[in-house]
Parts: sequence; structure tokens; C-alpha cells
Amino acid sequence: MVRGMTDRALVGFACAYTPLPLLDAAGFVPWRILPVGDAPDQAGHLLHDNLCPHVKRILDRAMAADLPPLAGIVFMSSCDAMRRLPDAWRVARPHDRLALVDLPVSTADDAVEYFAAELRALAGTLAEWHGSPVPDERLVEAMRRYDGLAASAAELRARLARAELPGGAAALQAALNDVTTGGWEAASRGWLAGPDPLRVLDRRPSASFAAGEETVDSRLSTLNALPVSGVPVFVFGNVLPDPEAFALFESCGARVVADDLCTGARVLASLAPAADADPYVRLARGLLGRSPCARTIDPAHPGRAATLVLDAARACGARGVVAHVAKFCDPYLARLPAIREALRDAGLPLLVLEGDCTRRSLGQQRTRIEAFVEMLERR
Amino acid sequence: MIGEYFSGLAHDIEGKLAAEPGAASARKIFALEVARLGVRLYSPGRPVAWCGVLAPFDLLNAVGVTSCFAEFVGAMLAGMGAASAPLEGAEQAGYAADTCAYHRAVVGAAMQGMMPVPDFLVATTTPCTGGLAAIENLARLFRRDLLVLQIPRAETEAGVRFLAGQLERLARFAAGRAGAQLDPQCVAAAVDLSNVTRALMVEIYDLARRVPSPVSNRDLANFGIVVPLLMGTQAGVDVARATRDELAARARDGKSGVPGERFRLLWVQNRIQFPNPLLRLLEDEYRAVIVVDELNDVTWEPIDPADPFPGMARRAIGLPLNGPAERRVARLRQLATEYRVDGIIQPCHWGCRQGTGIRGLVQRGFQELGIPVLNLEVDCIDARSFSEGQLRTRLEAFLELIAGRPRVRA
Ligand code: SF4
Ligand code: SF4
Repeated sequence: MVRGMTDRALVGFACAYTPLPLLDAAGFVPWRILPVGDAPDQAGHLLHDNLCPHVKRILDRAMAADLPPLAGIVFMSSCDAMRRLPDAWRVARPHDRLALVDLPVSTADDAVEYFAAELRALAGTLAEWHGSPVPDERLVEAMRRYDGLAASAAELRARLARAELPGGAAALQAALNDVTTGGWEAASRGWLAGPDPLRVLDRRPSASFAAGEETVDSRLSTLNALPVSGVPVFVFGNVLPDPEAFALFESCGARVVADDLCTGARVLASLAPAADADPYVRLARGLLGRSPCARTIDPAHPGRAATLVLDAARACGARGVVAHVAKFCDPYLARLPAIREALRDAGLPLLVLEGDCTRRSLGQQRTRIEAFVEMLERR
Repeated sequence: MIGEYFSGLAHDIEGKLAAEPGAASARKIFALEVARLGVRLYSPGRPVAWCGVLAPFDLLNAVGVTSCFAEFVGAMLAGMGAASAPLEGAEQAGYAADTCAYHRAVVGAAMQGMMPVPDFLVATTTPCTGGLAAIENLARLFRRDLLVLQIPRAETEAGVRFLAGQLERLARFAAGRAGAQLDPQCVAAAVDLSNVTRALMVEIYDLARRVPSPVSNRDLANFGIVVPLLMGTQAGVDVARATRDELAARARDGKSGVPGERFRLLWVQNRIQFPNPLLRLLEDEYRAVIVVDELNDVTWEPIDPADPFPGMARRAIGLPLNGPAERRVARLRQLATEYRVDGIIQPCHWGCRQGTGIRGLVQRGFQELGIPVLNLEVDCIDARSFSEGQLRTRLEAFLELIAGRPRVRA
């Protein structure tokens, strides 16, 4: 079995809908493959340039072997781009063990039941990878542990909203990244218990895949120095894993008070407490019932993504909203017009940033962010 | 505008057929039935549903609902050379130019009042995420009920049960909207007609496989994607039968669709929908014939009229566009081998993460077979950036490459 920096093997994942408690229960440490790093741009050999850069950057990393040893990778069929990822991965790294979980697009009861069957099938696959079965009690215990982590994350978010989190959104993002890239076990032992809740890790990043990366500690100390003041904004969209991105917002005079991002608030969101006796049904309902990515819809309320963004922005007292959308991301691009309309009607200004998951692409938007913040300040 | 176009078209073809019954070519009968469907969509009367591409149109026909996939409107507008205005309208309203132009055209058409307000909408999760979002947007714009058919990625027992249940609920809902109870007899009768159409399609594609092929580049354009709209009706059977008969007669007489057939080609996914010189160029200058379109394929078994929902579920799940690219590429390779093609044309429709997304994987699949692939960077709907010169140059180079190679079929 492949082992990482803990004594448990790592299993890669790339989508916020991944059933992390199940990976944990199966004896693995979930390891998020973030679209970061300097892997050369090679994904275009297998996938078209018009695919979302989140997926292409992840594939670049896979093709450049910029990953720790992984016992396998679990993909979710969340959108076309995510479906293409295992398609291309199989060609790029034919010896890796992959699992693709079908993810329903709604939370209807039959969708929950089907998703639960998919999760049970995944448990079988993980058991094969690990060499031991996944007893139901272990899953129940892992869900409890996961909800503990989610509660810690919620507490940090609440402090962020009150402007009481040292280092602000950038520090929180760094901590979230740490939990999902190997710090899982350390965090599970008590994220908020230590003297500094943002220091999740009790280890250094493993060398092979993070060559050249700053250590978490030094990164955090830099970020902690940043001021946490400014105009409150709400950020939503898909992937924005780089803490520097939040530091950029803050250096432009914005204070990110809350987010709804697939590398942010959605990644360690609580599984809604559900009464289902079957832990797989409970897990399925919990995952589908959380604050949704735009790829999940509510047929009873077409255009609900717009209402959700508006409600979340109002709830956190934001004076402006920033949409961060990876280029070519159909789920978000298709919903932006409705979101724009809803925010306009509510008098909440919106700034749309299209990015390609590189620090450079966001850096180029500095002037626009500054102008947006100035406009908010004048209102 | 589109409504009038359809009634004008239907009227013209009906007039011609009445004046000269002997001139009833299969393609005319096909065009007539498409026009009649268009007329029904744009006339008050029966309930109308705008749908995703994989909706069960035979089931909706059986319960008295006129239904159509929304992308059809995008294709029609492009075919009429009228897609620019709705595309621009959608873009001005914030729909990104990087998304599929089928969907932008449709949403733009809806915003500009060019689409009839439906009674309800049925989104499907396959073939694409963009399609699901487009139908959701239409439901929001039209303020109409939205149903979603979630098509599992694999034919597992749980998956078939999940989709079959959704189909049955859809049937009850749609029947209710048509003011009736779901009548299993009507559904069974429609399924019988679907099965007949399916069998005729199998015959048609068998004929197209012949060397030389009796099909021309236009005979089966959009056939496999549009005929499903007529499934479950006598019109579907009539169109398929006329097509089968015409191709069979040509094959019997030893006539090829493109006289002097020189190159046989496979077309991946959608045709270019706006008027363009490609087909003429292929035929006139190179005697090259598209013997098979990826979407002209029968990948499902006949459906049991007494228990239709599981069969309909398997039909949707088993479609190569659903599921992993590996399966789709395998099917493409099989088609290329069976039809003995010399080359592949893959239009990389900008904005399509489904077909275009896996461009590199399709190319690799054919490389292993030694069949050249022409990747055409083109938008199949949006003619605004179309360059005839570029297309001609790429096509010429490709066909010359093929001409210089040993023939697979030899
Ligand atoms: S939801 Fe958007 S950003 Fe996320 S994988 Fe899909 S296309 Fe990419
Ligand atoms: S071309 Fe692609 S994105 Fe557009 S409707 Fe077809 S499958 Fe969907």
C-alpha cells in the first residue's frame, strides 16, 4: 500500500462533493489535488483548450507526476469537465487506480437513494484498494469526525465574518488547504484545540510533490501579518485555492467576510443532520443537501443559484459580491446572467473575475478589484 | 419568424408532393415531417415541452405532448442563416461566448420571443452540462415547470431502476398536462412504432456501410439526431421506411450516393448547421462521402412495449455520448472499421465540453488504427467566425494526405 506523510495511505480527490468521511472510514487520508503549482501545460494533448482550467491544471499535475504517492483517485461526475478528467487520466497514467462516482444533479429522494448506491459501490472499491472492508460503524464514526472538522471550519468562518481571524480569509484558505492535503488526521485530533487554530499541521509538507513550496508555517506567518479591514465582500464561484488570492483582495481594500467556493466553504461544510438509518443514505443526503455548486439544481426553483448567492451575500453583510469563475466552466457561466440580474435588482454590486487557476491571471485583475472596492467605498 | 418558416416549408413541400407524387424523395418526406413538427411546436393546441437531447420523445408523443430538444431551434436558426441576432442577444445579456452556441442561440431566441412558451420543460443530464443549464435557464425565463431526467453514467441495476422510475413519473406528469391519465396501451403502441423505426434505422445504416455507399453527403445529415423526435409516431416510421427504400433501390441498381466514390469518411458528432460549402466541396472536388455520422447509430435494443421504462432507460444510458470517453472512442473505432472509412472529420465545436472536450482522446483512438483525423476548429452554429478559405485549405491538405496512403478497405 502507498503511504504518505501519515501512516495511512492517501487517496486523491478533486471535487468538493467527494465523500471524504467514506475515504477516511476506508482507512485512507483524503488528499485534494488542487489546481496549483508549476506543472507544464500538457493537458491540451489529451483535452481540448476549451475545458475548464481547474481540470486541466489537475491533469497537468498528473502528467508531470507532481503528486504524492496515491493509493487511488476518486472522481465525481459533477460536470462535463470533471467527467473528462478520469477519461484523460486513464490515458495519461494507465496504472493508477481510479473510481468515478456518479453524482446526481438534484436532491430528490430517488436521487439520494441512487447516490447512496453509488457510495456503497465506492466503499467496495476502497475496500479492495485497502484490503479490508468498510464496516458501517466505521463510516458512522468517520462522519462524526468529519462533522467535528466542519464545525471547526464553521467556527473559523464565523470569526472571519466578525473580523476576528488573524490573517483573514487568506489564512483560513491556507488552513483549509492544509486539512485537505494531508493534514486531515492532525486536524481530526482537534483543529481548534491548539494555541493557534490556523496551524493545522503538525508535520512539514512531504518533499516529493511540494518541491519549492514554502512551508505552511512560513506562509501562515506572512499571511498573519496582513490587515483584516476593508469593505466587506462575499466571494462565490468554483475554485480559488490560492491563499494569495484572498491576500490580493485584502490588499485591494476588500475584506472577504464569507465565501461559497468549491475550494472554500463547500469543501468542509457540515453534512446536514439527517435521520436516515442507513449511513450511506445519510451521507448521500448530507453531501447533496449542502450549499450547492452551480452544477446541482433544484428543479422546483429554476435559477435557484441566483437566490442562493443573494441570500448568502445579504446574510454576511457584504456590500459587494465577487464572482470568481474558472474560464469555460459551464455550470457557473450559464448561471451568471441570472445571478447578475438578482444582485442588480437587490442593489448589490457584482464583480466577475474569470481566471485560469494561475496566480498571474488573478494578479492581472488587480486594477479591476481596486476600482470595484473604490466604487463600493463611495456608495 | 420560425413558426412561419415551418408553415411555409410544410406548405411548399406538400404542394410539390401533391403536384408530382413521383418526386417524393426520402429527404423531402423527412423535411416535411420536420416542418410539421415545427408547425405543431409553434401552434397552440397540444401541450408543448422543450427538452434535453435525450428525452424519451416516443413516450411524450404517446401521451399527446409535442416535444423537441431545444438545440433543434439553434440548428434551425443556423440553417436559416438567422442565428446571429439571438446569439448576440444572449451575449449582451451576459451569456458567455465560450459556451456552446446551440444553447446561446436558444436562450437568445427565447429572450427575443422566437420560441413558443412551453407547458413544461424536461432537462436531461446527458449529453452535456451546458444543455442541462440551458433548459434550466429556459424554465426560469418562461416560468414553467421543470423536470430533470438524471441519466446514470453506467448501466447498473440501480441506475436503470433510477432512470426507469423518473421516466414513469415523467409519463404520468406529461399525460396529466395533456389532460389524461397515463394509458399503458397508448405507450405500448408508441413503443411498437419506435421499434419498427429502430429496425428500419438498422437497415438504413447497413445499407450505408456498403462499398460504394448508396448515401450522399446530405441523405443522412442530422438523421440520427432528428428521427428520435418522431419516434413513437407513424411519421417516424414513414420517414425511416422512405429512406430505407430509397437507399435499397440505389444499392440494388449499383448506384453510389456520390458518383465515383473515392474517399469514405466518418463525421464525429454534429454537422455544421449553417450553410457552408463543405459538403459540395467534398462531393464535387474530391468524390468524398460521409458514409457514417457518429450520431447515425443504433446502440439500443428493441423496447418491451409491456414494460417500456427499463428499456427506455437502457436506451439512454447505453448511448456512447453518455458514460466514459473510452466507451465512446471504442464505438467510434468500431464504426470506422465497419464502414471501412479512410478518414475522420471531427468538428471541434467551440463550447462543447462533451465532444470537443475529448478531441485528443478521439484522435489517439484513431491513430492506433492508422486512420487520419481532421480536427476542424469550427463553431457548428455560429457562422460569424467561419472562414471558408481556412476550411478549404485544411480539407484539401487532409484529403491529399488520405489520397497518398494505402487504403484501409483495400
Ligand atoms: S464546476 Fe466548473 S470549475 Fe468545477 S470542474 Fe466543473 S467546469 Fe470546472
Ligand atoms: S454540441 Fe456539445 S455542448 Fe453543445 S449541445 Fe451538443 S453535446 Fe452539448
